Amino acid sequence: MLEIPQKEIEELQKSIKTSSQRIIAENIERMKKTSQNRPEAMQYFDEISNFFGQREKEIQAAKENGKKVIGYFCMFAPTELILAADAIPVRVSSGWYDAAKLGDRIVPVEVCPIIRSTIGAKMISLSPYLELSDALINVTTCDGMTKLGEILSDSKPVWTMPIPRVKDSAQATRFWREELLTVKGQIEALTGNKITGKKLKAAIELTQKATKAFRRLQEIRKGAPVIMGRDAMLVNQTYMWDDITRWTEKTEALCDELEKKAREKNWACPPDTPRVMVTGTPMIWPDNWKVPTLIEEAKPQGVLIADELCSSERLLYDPVGVDEWSMDDMFKAISERYLMASTCPCFTSKDGNEDRINWLLTKVKDWNINGVIYYVVRGCMLYAMEYTRVKRVLDHLNIPMYYLDTDYTREDVGQLKTRVEAFLEMLTARIDI
Amino acid sequence: MVWAIVGEILKLMVLAGLGLAGILVILLWMKDLTRKATYLRLFIQVVSLVAIYYLFTYPIWLLAALIVILAMTLVIGRFFCGWLCPFGFYLDLVTLLRKAFKIRYRNLPEKLNRALHVLRYCLLIFFLILPFLLTPINPWQWPLSLFLSGPFKPIRVLIAPLTPLIVPWTEELTAINGVNLSYPYLDQIIAYSSVDLVWIFMFIFVSLTLASSFFMRRFWCRFCPTGASLAIVNKFKAFKGVPALHIYKEEEKCTKCGICKRVCPLQVTEVYEQKGGKINTSLCMLCFRCVEMCPYEDCLKVKFAGKTVFKSRNWLEPPESE
Repeated sequence: MLEIPQKEIEELQKSIKTSSQRIIAENIERMKKTSQNRPEAMQYFDEISNFFGQREKEIQAAKENGKKVIGYFCMFAPTELILAADAIPVRVSSGWYDAAKLGDRIVPVEVCPIIRSTIGAKMISLSPYLELSDALINVTTCDGMTKLGEILSDSKPVWTMPIPRVKDSAQATRFWREELLTVKGQIEALTGNKITGKKLKAAIELTQKATKAFRRLQEIRKGAPVIMGRDAMLVNQTYMWDDITRWTEKTEALCDELEKKAREKNWACPPDTPRVMVTGTPMIWPDNWKVPTLIEEAKPQGVLIADELCSSERLLYDPVGVDEWSMDDMFKAISERYLMASTCPCFTSKDGNEDRINWLLTKVKDWNINGVIYYVVRGCMLYAMEYTRVKRVLDHLNIPMYYLDTDYTREDVGQLKTRVEAFLEMLTARIDI
Repeated sequence: MVWAIVGEILKLMVLAGLGLAGILVILLWMKDLTRKATYLRLFIQVVSLVAIYYLFTYPIWLLAALIVILAMTLVIGRFFCGWLCPFGFYLDLVTLLRKAFKIRYRNLPEKLNRALHVLRYCLLIFFLILPFLLTPINPWQWPLSLFLSGPFKPIRVLIAPLTPLIVPWTEELTAINGVNLSYPYLDQIIAYSSVDLVWIFMFIFVSLTLASSFFMRRFWCRFCPTGASLAIVNKFKAFKGVPALHIYKEEEKCTKCGICKRVCPLQVTEVYEQKGGKINTSLCMLCFRCVEMCPYEDCLKVKFAGKTVFKSRNWLEPPESE
């Protein structure tokens, strides 16, 4: 990695850290302002969303007690295996805008900003979770991720997992299972804990419980909005670094509160607000909160009801379906849950990425979506190129879709605002008709 | 006389106990949504085993049973194989035993699995032709006696899977301490093998079927000729619309997560591969394991005469919210 003088690193780290903390506080402040009667249970998620707070200290303490931390970029990394080896899984994809600019020094500016930002964060040791992880699992989903692992391997052990691009063939499943076996060995070697059937079962049950809470939250959002989209997104995202048991508890508590609100017809915003769904490139806390903020603070206001982002609603929706609790079958179940249930655009088949399109259709229908925003950051080829196919299908349903391309930058907020507001105005008019 | 009555009472008590145990199992597992159909199925299998035991006390009814089962297939597909067949039940018990030991199962290669499905038709044709080869048809004999003891006896191979483990009739060979034990297809083995080797053949057959099913789920059912006589009805295009009981797949709900393919005890791939609509395959025995394990709401449905009887749902949710 590029050599930067120690002094500059410290300066940059300090300034970006301060600004980041300010942005986190500001984002939360704005989220509180937009939402009428925001759920009280959100308090916990507000706190845990602070990168430089409680959770960092907890992980540090756990590390001192001999626990290992394993970071991952794509959600294909088998969390169950990490948990079964008594290690802490954290997702370390970065959402810092300023870090993306630093990343430009190593990779060209055409590269996806998530990659650039992650590189930038590593350059100045910005992300606490990335710094604390003992090893990184890198799944070669897109070109950016493939090379990101390479670049980061200068400073951390990176376990690369190649993923098949066509997922529903017997050889793809076999290949992926072999990959998981390799990673399992690596995890066991790093942590020194053997992954036994008993431990794996416990880990699977842990994630199944989390999935249950996660799905419950999405189910609640099918009705009139009781929670603003950004709040829900934050809840989903905190799973990426929070302690899974505690996260499950808190999310269940939040769902209890939301169900009560729904019974009392205590909406978070007027029920006739246009219901928007976002799909596309992952949006990552804290900086990359631009588009959801724009949607929910626009006039006329829109509300994010659902999303199809791997940083939010795709994280945990699919459970590990174990048929028999034998080691072999649990392993198969895990490998299939990560490979086959995923609707990442890195996959294809002879009919196109039909799983993703089907799932989008289900979401649009079940969650009563009025309009879809197709969010793509510059350099995110896979999502950008799938746009027309998705649009063709949604046109059949007469659901408007808007292509929003942007970058990790604050400069286009004004321009984006106009575009988003025009789209929402159109949605409002459609609802009125 | 008194002992006979005591014996009958004991039998009834055993049956009642079995039934109660079945209900208990269901109650215990009601909470686990992914096992609902499985345990209901086990219960129905026990009940049908008992019913078939009583059928065996009047062998003439077996013919009627076979006809009824075949006719039912037109309407409900191979439901019999999954839910009523006693042999299938024994194999399920073997599977349960394997699960208890946490031993992994093996899968057959997909092509071989399909080849076995063809084998079942060959076996069926073979058994249908066999009576004509063995004896010329004697038109004066009463048709039913033809079936039970005459030249058509080989057709009884079709009802062989219905044999309970304890049979009411006396067969000297397999009676131990007055209890008449039997096992599917043992009749046929006794009938066709020479007296010297009959024990060896019986032993080989029983251990082979049990061992193969221990490592491969429902191994016998993949080429069972009785299954063929049922499956053949589903095979013809003309009957495609007929089975009123079938699995229906909603294309849009599916993310192709592959759970349905993995949990299928017969390794049926159609549910996974077919894009949507009515799943019509003669391989499927309608055990609905895929439906109960599918984690996407409304994605897989069991339809009977157009009505949804059972459907996939988010099995992570507790039953209260159903």
